[in-house]
Amino acid sequence: MPIGVKVLERPIEDVSYVRATLTGMGLTLRHLVNPHKVTVQYPEQREQLSPRWRGTHRMLTTDDGKSKCVACGLCPTVCPANCIKLVPGEDAQGNRYPLVFEIDEFRCIFCGYCQEVCPEEAIHVGRHYENSEYSRDGFVYDLERLMAQTHPVCEMWDPADPRGE
Amino acid sequence: MITLTIEGRQVSVPEGTSILEAGKAAGILIPHYCYHPGLPVAGVCRMCLVEVEKSPKLAPACATAAADGQVVHVHSESALEARQGVLELLLINHPLDCPVCDQSGECELQDYTYAEGRRSTRYREPKRVNPVEDFGGDVVYVPNRCILCTRCVRFMETVAEDPVLNVSDRGDHALIGKFENQDLTHPWAGNVVELCPVGALLSKDFLNKARSWDMDRAASVCPGCSQGCNIVIETRDNVVARLRPRPNADVNQYFMCDEGRLNYRWLNRRDRVAEPLVRRGDALIPVDWEIAIDAAARTLTGRRVTAIVSPGLSNEVLYLLRRVLERCGAESEGVFAVRQGPEAPLPGVPDLAVRADRAPNVQGAELMGFRRTDAPLDAVRSGDVLLLADADLSAAGAAVVSGALARAADIIVIGTTVPAWAAGAGAALPLANMAEDEGTFTNLRGRVQRYRQAKSPPALARPGWSVLADLLVALGDPIVVWTPAEAFSALAQAHPAFAGMTYEGLGATGTVVADAREPRAVTAGIGA
Repeated sequence: MPIGVKVLERPIEDVSYVRATLTGMGLTLRHLVNPHKVTVQYPEQREQLSPRWRGTHRMLTTDDGKSKCVACGLCPTVCPANCIKLVPGEDAQGNRYPLVFEIDEFRCIFCGYCQEVCPEEAIHVGRHYENSEYSRDGFVYDLERLMAQTHPVCEMWDPADPRGE
Repeated sequence: MITLTIEGRQVSVPEGTSILEAGKAAGILIPHYCYHPGLPVAGVCRMCLVEVEKSPKLAPACATAAADGQVVHVHSESALEARQGVLELLLINHPLDCPVCDQSGECELQDYTYAEGRRSTRYREPKRVNPVEDFGGDVVYVPNRCILCTRCVRFMETVAEDPVLNVSDRGDHALIGKFENQDLTHPWAGNVVELCPVGALLSKDFLNKARSWDMDRAASVCPGCSQGCNIVIETRDNVVARLRPRPNADVNQYFMCDEGRLNYRWLNRRDRVAEPLVRRGDALIPVDWEIAIDAAARTLTGRRVTAIVSPGLSNEVLYLLRRVLERCGAESEGVFAVRQGPEAPLPGVPDLAVRADRAPNVQGAELMGFRRTDAPLDAVRSGDVLLLADADLSAAGAAVVSGALARAADIIVIGTTVPAWAAGAGAALPLANMAEDEGTFTNLRGRVQRYRQAKSPPALARPGWSVLADLLVALGDPIVVWTPAEAFSALAQAHPAFAGMTYEGLGATGTVVADAREPRAVTAGIGA
């Protein structure tokens, strides 16, 4: 030891793994018998989502199965993530409707502004989170897919507590 | 001159000015619907009611002459209350279909309702509903949205002098009607769409195409004819969506013709040449700009050149082209042809018409010493280099074209497209079109007006002044031009008609060239 490094003997009870292992196992055992379990047996069991949950979108339809959207262009304007593509057109009756309506769910930040701004109550964010896909293209939802979604939609605010207090 | 106080601001205006116009001069917008500076005063909408001190009741600002010492309150309690009442009554039958209305975002009813209107309606009765009517031409009428300001009726009656429109029926049933068997086919009728303060009169061409807040706007000059109406080019996602008039008291006042309004699709055409091309064997292949410029310069040096230019090019580009010709061999010349069309005046405005010359810079091309001819291809002499500068020769017959091709030894194309018959060109230099570039046009009265860039050019295409400056350098000219302003100042220094003009000095409404009425044919000595 040219520079005189001191080597200390450490007490065996400090360096033994036995105590740490027992402490850890103790915690596990305590949770095993704990009546307040939070683990949910997904997918057999599902958590109840908040009515204000904002997930993947859904386009509501009129009674005759057409989309409610009138292509006013407010949602692409308000969208902070710029994820909505809208091309307006005119149908045979002279009504304005979306020729193209696509939402890129990858870009979407699920702020819910589109639902809030929509004057026709057409586009909604949904109470839904199971949206895995086999390809990236699958995350660009077109109008047909948005209309085919069936999950419940976001309430935006709790009816019992509209001001969020 | 009289002096009055509006909202605490003193303003001096000529005698006879309305309070509304005096307010504009003072920088105060008095809300109004039926008033329009280009139309006779009607005073029917009651929206411009203001409080004038020592006057027993509110006065309509559009129809009340300003008087010396008047004190006007625009936003006083009683004036606001009156206007709120007007708005409430206008909204009784106005559908709240702003989400599907084309005017949304640029609607004066929307603006003033947000600014001064009631928060909700007290009216419980059903709204009156009338079917949409096609007015002919480019105009469609949505009677439900109409607020009966009668701007359209007055325009057709006193400005277009083709009284097609009227107010039909009375009271609650009143709407704008057309006289029997007459359509809005006047060549200037499209202006009623612009005049309409709400979404009652809409352009069929623009219907449902874009929202007003989606669009970018650039001040420009109409490229349709030699009148040079001031316009705004509105683009959405780099595509021109519509053209609208821009006020210029000396040229077009507030109007533009339907032909000009709908003449924008060529600005979006897809078959553009987007890369510099040079000939390698049988084919034109894309190359770097330097290679293409060098190839063009080698072809032009010392040769006799006939340039066929477009009268739709800017003054700067035409000037630089003239300078290129001076660098080429002796007896080089430049010619241009102008597409012709029927002339259609707007009777209510002096000296305003769709001109027979359907090109924006005929005067500029003449000032730059290009020779006007009806048969530009006949000017090509045997053994010439044909320099085709964006000229549209599609009207020329096949025999004329093949004759010119047989005489021309080489072809150089500088332009937005390469026509099929010029596929044998030695080099092609892609240019930006007028919406993608900035520059100036000289209209038929010699007014030099600026237009600004509205969209970006395709791929490698470049503004004409920049391409020609590089070409001039390759030809040995000591010119230094890095911006369109420098191109213009090079022109102003060299050309007596443009002497003393500056790019900034042209402003929004332009400046008239020296000797505007008698264009001098300057053919020599305007180069460096």
